[in-house]
Amino acid sequence: MNAIADEAIYSFGIDIGGTFTDVILHRGSDGQSISTKVLTTHLDPREGAIIGVRQLLEQWPIPPRQVGRVVHATTLFTNALIERKGVPTALVTTAGFADSLEIGTERKFDLYDINIEKPAPLVPRELRFEVEERLNARGEVVTALSQETLAAVVARLVEQRIESVAVVFLHSYLNPVHERLAAEYIRKHAPGVHVTTSYDVAPEIREYERTSTTTACAFVKPLAEGYLRGLQNNLRELNIGAPMFLMLSNGGLTHLEEVLKNPIQMLESGPAAGALSSAFFGKLDGYPDLLGFDMGGTTAKLCLVEQGAPMLAYAFEAGRTKRFMEGSGLPIKISTVELIEIGAGGGSIARANSLGLLNVGPDSAGSEPGPVCYGRGGDQPTVTDANLQLGYLNPDFFAGGSMQIDAPLAGHAIGRLADQLGLSLVKAASGIHILVSEAMASAARVHIAEHGRDPRHYSLLLTGGGGPVHGYCVGRKLGVKRLICPPSPGVASAWGLLVAPVKIDRVRTLQTTVQDGDLQAVEQSFLELEQEARGVVQESAVQHQKTFVKRLAEGRYKGQGFSLIVPVPDAALGNEQGRQALIEAFENEYRRKFSRAPSNLKIELVAIRLSVHTEDLIEEGLQFPSRSGALAAVKQVRKAWFEETGGYVDTTVYNRDLLGSGDTFNGPALVEDAGSTLVVGPNATCSVTAHGSIIIELH
Amino acid sequence: MAQAALTAEKASQGNNVLDPVTIEIMWTRVVSIVDEAARVIARTAFSTLSNDANDFACVLTDVRGQSLAQNTSGIPSFIATLPATVRHMLAEFPIGEMQPGDVFITNDPWMGTGHLPDVCLVKPIFHKGGVVAFAATTSHVPDIGGVVRSIAPREIYEEGLRIPPTLFVRNGEGDPMLTKLIRANVRTPDQTLGDIWAQVAALEVMDNRMLTLVRDYDVDSLDGFADEIFTRSEKAMRDAIRRVPKGEFTYLMHTDGLEEHFELHVKLTIRDDEILVDYAGTSPQQPCAINCPLTYTYAMTAYAIRSALLPELPNNEGMFRPIKISVPEKSLLNPIFPVAVGARAATGHYVPALVFGALFQALPERVIAAPGSPQWCVTLTGHQHGERYACVLFFAGGLGARASLDGVSCLSWPSNISMIPVEVAERVAPVLFKHKRLLPGSGGKGRYRGGLGQEALIELYAEGGASVFFMTERTKIPAPGLAGGEPGALGELLINGQPVDSRAPHYVKQGTQLLIRTPGGGGYGEAQARSHEAIEKDRRAGYI
Repeated sequence: MNAIADEAIYSFGIDIGGTFTDVILHRGSDGQSISTKVLTTHLDPREGAIIGVRQLLEQWPIPPRQVGRVVHATTLFTNALIERKGVPTALVTTAGFADSLEIGTERKFDLYDINIEKPAPLVPRELRFEVEERLNARGEVVTALSQETLAAVVARLVEQRIESVAVVFLHSYLNPVHERLAAEYIRKHAPGVHVTTSYDVAPEIREYERTSTTTACAFVKPLAEGYLRGLQNNLRELNIGAPMFLMLSNGGLTHLEEVLKNPIQMLESGPAAGALSSAFFGKLDGYPDLLGFDMGGTTAKLCLVEQGAPMLAYAFEAGRTKRFMEGSGLPIKISTVELIEIGAGGGSIARANSLGLLNVGPDSAGSEPGPVCYGRGGDQPTVTDANLQLGYLNPDFFAGGSMQIDAPLAGHAIGRLADQLGLSLVKAASGIHILVSEAMASAARVHIAEHGRDPRHYSLLLTGGGGPVHGYCVGRKLGVKRLICPPSPGVASAWGLLVAPVKIDRVRTLQTTVQDGDLQAVEQSFLELEQEARGVVQESAVQHQKTFVKRLAEGRYKGQGFSLIVPVPDAALGNEQGRQALIEAFENEYRRKFSRAPSNLKIELVAIRLSVHTEDLIEEGLQFPSRSGALAAVKQVRKAWFEETGGYVDTTVYNRDLLGSGDTFNGPALVEDAGSTLVVGPNATCSVTAHGSIIIELH
Repeated sequence: MAQAALTAEKASQGNNVLDPVTIEIMWTRVVSIVDEAARVIARTAFSTLSNDANDFACVLTDVRGQSLAQNTSGIPSFIATLPATVRHMLAEFPIGEMQPGDVFITNDPWMGTGHLPDVCLVKPIFHKGGVVAFAATTSHVPDIGGVVRSIAPREIYEEGLRIPPTLFVRNGEGDPMLTKLIRANVRTPDQTLGDIWAQVAALEVMDNRMLTLVRDYDVDSLDGFADEIFTRSEKAMRDAIRRVPKGEFTYLMHTDGLEEHFELHVKLTIRDDEILVDYAGTSPQQPCAINCPLTYTYAMTAYAIRSALLPELPNNEGMFRPIKISVPEKSLLNPIFPVAVGARAATGHYVPALVFGALFQALPERVIAAPGSPQWCVTLTGHQHGERYACVLFFAGGLGARASLDGVSCLSWPSNISMIPVEVAERVAPVLFKHKRLLPGSGGKGRYRGGLGQEALIELYAEGGASVFFMTERTKIPAPGLAGGEPGALGELLINGQPVDSRAPHYVKQGTQLLIRTPGGGGYGEAQARSHEAIEKDRRAGYI
């Protein structure tokens, strides 16, 4: 059994990102934790992770057997997809449909780009094979699976030294019989080849999206197996025998064997941890509805949290090739924390466009050469340079004082841009700050409106290096009343690994009408999915831990192309009461999203989704000590620019490490810690909560 | 001070000139407003054309009916059409008589988008008692009456219900008489009205968001902001045109036509900072539905020129000012009332390739060789188990090759319509696909190869058979190449193995097989110049 031991005292969280690997060690008895940030070791990412673990074990010399669990998130698989660095992978399809993967949707993601290219398929045409077999749209066998054609394909797989194969047959989401037979045959006759069937990965209608998902899964599977098992062995070598759990894109944990069946579920594990962490810090202080705003060097992410849980989506795109444009990536049908990604961050470059207007991004100075102020050869001003010019960042305490920077150099670069645009230096610098904030606010407005919500009812929770710097400006634009800045916002996302519940999602495609269809059969399907999901959860969960089941129904008014997903009311679906309750649930969701009366057409169910999860593993935050008042934390006073004051004003700078719970202060203010700077404008009051978060009330 | 949003400095007090930062921030907001409205339509529309094919548009105009922004995903067909619709409304209904909450409607092809299924709505946005802007939308409704998807109609009267500019909503209530009239004239009253109300919801979103914007920036009028956008965009387009070699460039394209081929002529005159596009010599209008009204011809022309010269700039009035077109009346590209126009795309989709053919002579690096379009479309209707079904399937051909890239296989262009997944098609209609795959060898040869078309074999198993309608082009005249590149393969349509007249409707029995081969794109450059690696790669993948 892989179950988390009840007596677990210490937990490790390891989050491997594109640039940094964050490792956190948490002590259950008193809620204390320590963390470290090491550079990601791209050649073998396990190396960086183990360096981090060792560092923390030196800082807290504890017997390794007291580590009750290790939770891991990684961007490794996403990178493998983007860089097309998987193992030699083949695709086996129904005869006549090997090109579905390449034909795709037949749509352009960019209307005006004459040099447009479709995202390159993960499996080239010469490695896509067809076998005779066919099911119809009811899932009935029309043509039996042909052993001869399958045998010929297997011979090719062996000959081509294929390591991993995806099997995708038409309509298999209704009936996996042929996919299972084919998988069995391949395993038997081509031992050592990893086999992935679409039914096990994404049993959903639409062959292109399902094929894309299954192929992506097959592409990373051998890599995932080697890497994850290897990491577990590395931990054992440190005498950490505790089971390793993996963070899934849906914001839940599961055990290694479950992930190895379907590693694609881990694609968005890092961002999912970030979203969970936002939800966690909001809940601690009684703010369960919030918008998580995480801004880093090249991108920013937004995530809506409702009633303490990040909102989920059931599809996303991996590796968008063009400026985060929808349609330019590989479609992946898995349940995932819903994130809006915006191609702007601290490194985004500002310039005058062909219209003589100020533009920021989407290209970034990255970490090399980086912003102008790094003095490494960058000469185009970035968002970070502007923030420095506005007085938000401290030239003597950059990255916690670990970095020498050249503020005058940044000033000159912004000055050149200002001259080009016919603006003053300060107008150009503030313009960059405000314009980037507007891009974030615009993306947030569209996203929130899509869910039929009103931004004014949400708090904005700030993480990453840039979230706290831009949060005030973004928050004002959105009309939110409150900002929340958790302790150590630069590394907050690793917390998500520690709090995540065990959680398994399942989906089934079906087709029935709510008003007069056979809902008894739907109820039966829900029960089957529940049994399956519970089985996996119980393998991971702490014994006797409470579990929860969430049922969702996806449907639409007959003829409509877009479906709604609604929670299924508690009543069993089999009876008339259940049917009425489900109709009402759809009508309410429709009204909320589209603010008009629902149609009197029939509602068609297209899929059911089910999730089984445990309670969050940590529900208590650290009790933050009170210290000697905000005054004692004042570091200096420096000039910072604010829109409301129309220019630079004296602004109190606080040392975050010296602020204690209960401390209060007013804007304008700057709060510095090693990883970020919180910028608070004049019309705001701040207070430090019992859990160490700073709550900024906007007036 | 309780103030929800940002305290922007007064954006446009009196005659103050807006600065390059404020303009960009406001513009970002306006574009995000039309994009938000677009999401509303995409999510609520009943028509698969609206939600899968993005066959709709959302636009904000100033009080003069000049476009400030169009939704980013809006397809080329709608470039500049909605602002023209707003101006038609203004001509019909004096601005002084409009009331807050009013919504006007029309689907007149010459005032709207060029055919009846696109229903257009316009809503004045009121601020401090006056109109400050207009929100406008259009969406392809599931049915508007008349003959189903066919080029057979000779006059507009056969194509469905025509709604002249009319007041549709006042005081929040839809006009009951018009509603009744629409319901009585269309096959899908609930869905058609549902789509129209989805547009009203999108208009309300634009209205609310624009009011927040004018309040945030404390402006009474958007004219100053609008003029800044237009002037700067116009200048950018004029600058781009100035960099194009001057001269007159002509191109002639033959198309399938009816009994005889059609001729599409273009003469591109580039002088200083303007482009004049003249279609003199083009074949006359026809007594069937493939005529392409001027509004659509302009949209397709502007699409080609913007793609070649200024692809990054968001659509707005200013950028199109330097692009003028001249089209002889009563020609295929400027037919006059009351000819039929339902299948305007069957002609209009040729236009961007035609313009590229001429522009190639001035800017060889910035064009695409002719693609295997217009978009192919197969409509099946009939009865199965006593229920009526209707299924519209789209099939893209190959994109033409570019100056340094092969054409993309199976890509919708200039339109942007998704294929219907085989699994979905088989669910909604009694069909079974035998295969749907790339068509090797269909891309025009060249230094850069044209994109491949596709081949689909569909078997019909409805007991009662089915009526089948086709929209196919380039079955007689292939997509030409550029710079010595060879044409793409012809498209083909076979029923039970026999070539058929794709212009006519067909009534077919159970067990009938339809074979569809979409045309390939034209090649670019001499075939001898193609690299050995490229040929080897094509061979390995079986593209040739």
